[in-house]
Amino acid sequence: MNTAAKLENVTFRYSNGDSGALNSVDLEIKSGECLLLCGSSGCGKTTVTRLLNGLIPHYYEGELQGEVISAGRNIRDVSIEDLAGTVGSVFQNPRSQFFCVDTDAEIAFGCENMGLPEDEVRRRSAEAVASMHIEKLLGRSIFNLSGGEKQKIACAGVSAMLPRMIVLDEPTSNLDLDAIDELRTIISGWKAQGRTIVIAEHRLGWLEGICDRVIFMENGSISKEFTGSSFFSLGTAALNSMGLRAAVTDSSCLDSPCGVTPIKPFSKSGVISLENFTFSYGRQKALDIPALDIPKGSVTAVTGHNGAGKSTFTGCLCGLKKGFKGRVTIDGKTLRPKDMMRLSYMVMQDVNHQLFAETVLEEVMLGAEDSEEQKALDTLEKLDILQFRDRHPMSLSGGQKQRVAVASAILAGKKLLVFDEPTSGLDFRSMECTADLLGSLDDDITVLIVTHDTELIGRCCTHLLHIENGRL
Amino acid sequence: MTGLFTADVENRGLVLDPRTKLAVMITLVVFALGGTGDDITAVRCGTIVISILPMLLLVTAKQYKKAALFTVLFALVKAAELLLVSRMTGAAVSIFGICCMIFVRLMPGLIMGAYMLSSTTVSEFIAAMHRMHVPQQITIPMSVMFRFFPTVLEEFSAINTAMKMRDIRLGGKHSGKFIEYRLVPLMVCSVNIGSELSAAALTRGLGTKVRRTNICKIGFRVQDILVLMLTAALYVLLVPGMAGVVK
Repeated sequence: MNTAAKLENVTFRYSNGDSGALNSVDLEIKSGECLLLCGSSGCGKTTVTRLLNGLIPHYYEGELQGEVISAGRNIRDVSIEDLAGTVGSVFQNPRSQFFCVDTDAEIAFGCENMGLPEDEVRRRSAEAVASMHIEKLLGRSIFNLSGGEKQKIACAGVSAMLPRMIVLDEPTSNLDLDAIDELRTIISGWKAQGRTIVIAEHRLGWLEGICDRVIFMENGSISKEFTGSSFFSLGTAALNSMGLRAAVTDSSCLDSPCGVTPIKPFSKSGVISLENFTFSYGRQKALDIPALDIPKGSVTAVTGHNGAGKSTFTGCLCGLKKGFKGRVTIDGKTLRPKDMMRLSYMVMQDVNHQLFAETVLEEVMLGAEDSEEQKALDTLEKLDILQFRDRHPMSLSGGQKQRVAVASAILAGKKLLVFDEPTSGLDFRSMECTADLLGSLDDDITVLIVTHDTELIGRCCTHLLHIENGRL
Repeated sequence: MTGLFTADVENRGLVLDPRTKLAVMITLVVFALGGTGDDITAVRCGTIVISILPMLLLVTAKQYKKAALFTVLFALVKAAELLLVSRMTGAAVSIFGICCMIFVRLMPGLIMGAYMLSSTTVSEFIAAMHRMHVPQQITIPMSVMFRFFPTVLEEFSAINTAMKMRDIRLGGKHSGKFIEYRLVPLMVCSVNIGSELSAAALTRGLGTKVRRTNICKIGFRVQDILVLMLTAALYVLLVPGMAGVVK
């Protein structure tokens, strides 16, 4: 078999930090193979993908030693744009990889840039659309698509350029299980066409049976290499000890009956009663739950398929939905939506949206009384972020930011914490830390987690709340 | 989200060529905002007609509420300007008259601008610029803005939600730092998104030396010709008007 790309004794250091550096990496990628790069955050797997599509050294700056040959050309001598026709890239964040505002133009965008004749552009776009069965997404505005749909459009745009190699950097971290299944189908299609595929991923299960070879990276070096079948027979314990997530995609949480189901022994008493949780978007009823009791002090996972109304539900619970008329009774007090906002707090998927202040301490003191500084320091210590008290919150890592957000919610006296996919895109250790954090909160704090992550659910959740079609 | 800067391709009604929209915009600036030919009755009537055009365009884009609101407001203020201001004296004229004038002159242009942004897709814009021989060095940064603004607005609304939950608002305990608290996360998110967006565009081949194709069909249709004739009429009327032939 021919070589699609080759890294020879590559050492790379980003000019703005240590994370993701590579130390003398040797890697040969055969043409037509599907290669998985895995390892914990910061191990350098994303760096490898960036070397293959030319973003390093031409876009992300740093010090590069060694030789990188991608699609037969030395990466130093070819620009990213000129590599575009031969190496296609799909990225992690569906929000930031689109250039156009409508789907048709977006799919054709890459081909247009290559300067292909108009008819050819149309033919290739139509072929890509047909092979992925996404006809119903044509003529839509990008901003009205779900994350999974956006990722499909990104794949179609790459596919239309007919690249020999396709590089995917954590393509599923914002997708739900159904969308991941569809992405799997797309990648199998590419493989059948004989394209070389390189995927850097935390989630592993969906790649079983597709990838031929697995490279395990640690601290910027390749430490182990597996064939696809031997890697997926490793078992959860072995994967976890390597700092990797389990490879079994377990969707049993979607099989539980609708409503609240206890999954662990739970001794606390008291409930939070929800009444009249109904909400509509225009004429479409998105949520219809007349009454529901959530055990007080529990850690409850909110599950359900895509579009089941999970985020509408949590939005209503936090008092964020305009026109919502439901009520919540807690400790004998009945609260209206406006008061619910005072009582609850949502930790968003992108924590960057909710950190405002200059230092961690100032951040957590925002919602607290000035006299509570000692309490703030204690909370920071408990969450293991006291050493960062004078750092800027934005300079912390993702997991640390999450902790700062939780600390600020605790100090503001919030009794109901809602997490939106807290472990998407996290490696095993960070997921474990998040699970420990959620399990260790005070007894009077109730936690709801919107998640598909069965490992997280198994580690820290006491109850499951399953919603389908906005109902119980 | 269908905000100000988002082209709603699913629901945009009458399709005008981007160049037609630009011509209307320039005409509005010259006549409605600039007040050119204000002393010629024919031109003044024409200006009123073209000032109502943006509202008609809103109707075709099914934004009935906005269209009705702006039409009523425009009619009321214009009527007030025509009927009341001439009967007023002293300070009333300066204050009330100036308010009316600013409103009547600015509003059509603003609505037209918003309509232009919300009804033109990036590829149409690039195609139109290309036909007008504007160099790529100007077109590409401008088209990036098309894509960047709606995303920043999305970020902004997420930040707003977060602030509500933290009870940071004007008049609250931290109102002194209200703006700072809003800008810091917005800037961090915008920088991240901007850099990811550029990386994605580069890997899709934007910026190659090759001449870019554009599969987007733009061109003048019946509706374009009608609108263009209307705008041309104003300029045509202006010439004899200035010569004193038409009053």
